Amino acid sequence: MNKKRLLSVLLSAAMVAGTMAVAVPAYADDTEEITWMFWDDLEATEDLVSKGYKDVIDRFNTEYEGKYHVTPITTNLEEYDGKLNALIAAGQTPDVYICNPGPNMDVYVNAGAAADLTDILENQEKDWYATFTDGIFDRLTYDGKIMAVPTNFAAACVYYNTELFEKAGVEVPTTYDELIDVCKKLQDAGITPISCSAGTAWCLSMIAGYLCDRSGVDLQAIADHTANWTDDNCIAAGEKLKELSQYFQETAAGDSNDQATANFYNGDAAMLVQGSWAIAQINGNNSDFQSKCGVFQFPGIDGANDPNRMIVKTDNLLMSSTTEHQDAAIALMKMFTDEEAQKYTAEVAGKFPIIKDLDIDYDKAPAQLKYVQDIMDKATGTFGFYNESLASVEAGDCFDNAMVDIFLGNQTPEEAFQTVQDFYEENVWE
Amino acid sequence: MQTKKSKKPVKPVTVILYLFLIILAVIYVAPLLWMLSVSLKDNAGVMAAPFALPEVFHWENYQQAWTMGKLGTALVNSVLVCGVTLLVSLFFGAMAAFAIARMRWKLSEAAHTFFLIGMMVPVHCILIPLFVRFAGLGLTNSRVGLMIPYITFSLPMTIFLLTGFFKSMPGELFEAAAIDGCGIYGCFFRIALPLCRTGFFVSGLMTFVGNWNELLLAMVFISDPVKKTLPVTLTYFVGPYATNYVQMFAAIIIAIAPTVIVYCLFSNQIVEGLTTGAVKG
Amino acid sequence: MDKILRNKKAIFIFIAPALIMFVLVLVIPMVQMVYYSLCDYAALTPPKFSGLANYKKLFFKDATFKIALKNSIFFMIFSAITQQVIGLGLAVMLTNIKKGRNLFKNIYYLPSVLSSAALGLLWAFMFNPKIGINNLLAQFGIKGPLWLMDSKGFIVLPMWVIAFVALWQYVGQNMMLYMAQITGISRDIYEASYIDGASKTQSFRYITLPLIKPMMVTSLSLNCIGSLKFFDLVYNMTQGGPNHRTEVLATELYAEGFNYFKYGYASAISVVLLVMCLIVTLLVKKVIKVETYEG
Repeated sequence: MNKKRLLSVLLSAAMVAGTMAVAVPAYADDTEEITWMFWDDLEATEDLVSKGYKDVIDRFNTEYEGKYHVTPITTNLEEYDGKLNALIAAGQTPDVYICNPGPNMDVYVNAGAAADLTDILENQEKDWYATFTDGIFDRLTYDGKIMAVPTNFAAACVYYNTELFEKAGVEVPTTYDELIDVCKKLQDAGITPISCSAGTAWCLSMIAGYLCDRSGVDLQAIADHTANWTDDNCIAAGEKLKELSQYFQETAAGDSNDQATANFYNGDAAMLVQGSWAIAQINGNNSDFQSKCGVFQFPGIDGANDPNRMIVKTDNLLMSSTTEHQDAAIALMKMFTDEEAQKYTAEVAGKFPIIKDLDIDYDKAPAQLKYVQDIMDKATGTFGFYNESLASVEAGDCFDNAMVDIFLGNQTPEEAFQTVQDFYEENVWE
Repeated sequence: MQTKKSKKPVKPVTVILYLFLIILAVIYVAPLLWMLSVSLKDNAGVMAAPFALPEVFHWENYQQAWTMGKLGTALVNSVLVCGVTLLVSLFFGAMAAFAIARMRWKLSEAAHTFFLIGMMVPVHCILIPLFVRFAGLGLTNSRVGLMIPYITFSLPMTIFLLTGFFKSMPGELFEAAAIDGCGIYGCFFRIALPLCRTGFFVSGLMTFVGNWNELLLAMVFISDPVKKTLPVTLTYFVGPYATNYVQMFAAIIIAIAPTVIVYCLFSNQIVEGLTTGAVKG
Repeated sequence: MDKILRNKKAIFIFIAPALIMFVLVLVIPMVQMVYYSLCDYAALTPPKFSGLANYKKLFFKDATFKIALKNSIFFMIFSAITQQVIGLGLAVMLTNIKKGRNLFKNIYYLPSVLSSAALGLLWAFMFNPKIGINNLLAQFGIKGPLWLMDSKGFIVLPMWVIAFVALWQYVGQNMMLYMAQITGISRDIYEASYIDGASKTQSFRYITLPLIKPMMVTSLSLNCIGSLKFFDLVYNMTQGGPNHRTEVLATELYAEGFNYFKYGYASAISVVLLVMCLIVTLLVKKVIKVETYEG
């Protein structure tokens, strides 16, 4: 029985491979081995932020050689939470792991998978704590306990093509009415005013989030149920979204985020509303574009809310509540937030540092970073992406979907916000 | 029958039939050619005109995909995991299917339905219980730990298909063998297995392709980069904010090439062998 | 012969390896799944028993589940009919031609081998509002619809699109199954029928059809189970959107479990899915009666 012999050979080969796999890699006895989980592969990535993280990991392993060693566990973004959940459920929580702010982080904090860092930051590592930008921990604090350390933040702005603006003879708008006017003139000049993806719901939702905030929607009041999703300011924001969406590219309904961004850097549309991570993507794909890509803050609405509030988002590191190598984990988190790493974040990756008094060389950095920084300096307040600021991930999706329905014309703003209201009545307020 | 007709002039029906088959074939081959064309462009070009032919052929995409995606290691892992899975699941599956299809016992029908249930379970829902169990046994982050669920998930399909093939085998064959002094094991190894080549091919193909493309289990079970399989490394090209399409497609082409080649080689041999009259009723 | 076939020890030896693996890897987690479906369970915290609460919410309150159920049933019926008819048709055509049979067969099977992620992307480009098909239609002055974003009608357009793409991708498998069975039919039978004056249609009706009946049960069952559990193309083409209108059972349970961390609820959907699969397979077995050859 030739087949059988082949089978048994293969099987035993597999078994041997398996036993070898279980064996722990041999390091010097006193090296503390930790793991760090992340949502992008560090070797193959083209993402500049991820590349910066890889530098940090390499630096950590060199600097602490013989003392600490970190092994990254990577997945892609889609499978990240699935794998992290499985690891936590099996008691193999990675020592340090990355997480989005808001409801996603709530899940890990509420499940007790994240360590309370308050004591470490406020008492044991005072100097480190003092380096952080004021207020940066606000969204990472639960009942007075700091549960995560940020590594960078991104701000959402409007990017515009200066060449196309000149061609149509328009200026940067500062109010919503001016924005509509600019859109009209661009359209008359045969230029697509705004590139947006409704296929990737959060892109549309970013514009909706700005419109809501500019109209004076108060998420905290909604969370406390002292305000409703069916209030006038929500409906007004919905109407404006509907109005603005007439000026999106024809294919907005089907374009993915990548396509919408490409539309902009290929010069097919005059404006793009995106997070500052897009800077690297735009310049990377079309290096000639840097000189003609300007930035302005999302226009305000006359007689409504403060127009200087910005949507921002941090990337955050959580430490496992069950880690046996706290010192190594803290050392790693420190390295993510040290001057070298933060300088890279700003000068190369196009995101913002989370530490104070950093001397950024704006000549090295992409031109747009300075523009965004100038806007940030004027900012009077920040708020999160709407889909990451609601009661749960599901509530965020519900909001996103309602906005897509307004855009597609399936529902009037009243109907769409009524669905969000119903969701809150059913699942949040009770 | 066919040899007689070949001397006649070509019928219009035949022409229409071939025309139809060729048009259909074009619809089927086009996507592959499209993938090939994307893999030779640059990313901005893909976005600007996805269906245009590449202006410059970026062959370096393949080389970069190979090194960045660590496709060499991944290919070895995939071949090892899927190969062992294929052999073991076919062998175990054939044994069970033979007992269900040909042997006489009260619970055979029940066993058939029981195994069938395995095909109905959505893998997403048993993922976490399974992972926790395997972690307890130290079987996560190992290739064997991946083979075991793959084999098990392949079993229902294999058993289901092979049962059909074993059932359609004429019983006289086994009776004759029994008269010649063949035991039950002899019947299985000398008659059932060799006669079931088509069945092995069909069920092997279907489970192999499924495992070769399986992402979720591989992603969750394996953390060590040197043990990752092809579908996992293909996701390397999907970043958190942007996807590197050109290299991803180059990697996809590299990943499917072996399956397509092996498939074409084997499928021809086996169906050819059968039509020349290997099975006599 | 009969005695050999009733050999208990042999039956045990034949069944045991598959059974043991099956029970350990599939059945135990499956039982856990059924238990979780009765719990408030978020994977990270221990499950809390909550009786039938998940099922009550599923059937009486969850609008998305109703859409998913509707889409899954539509998808199953559509796939079962089209894939069986076209798959069988292709198999018969290919077994009746002389030249290029293997070439055509390999080509038609090709999409089943390709990864759904890549194909999903391809078809997303193809059905983009401007490029792809609509670009082609525009040449003739027709304005194409929003293939993947339209949301009108009982079964929305994107669902039809996905169903046709799935037909394109998987019909090769049914063709392959039928071809395997048809080529297995002894050619002597056909020769004999032609000598008796039977036409090709008659030989198909009276020889091929009855002889491939077992394969019909197999292929149809696989088809129904596969399409009820269908996940890949929906996930890669629309991710259930716009606003859940193309959600199917598998994508909904994925979202509930992996995006919203509601494993208990996702388990309840899985149980519903499992029961539906069971009912359908039993129905298939009942409707197509097969006489087995007894040796």
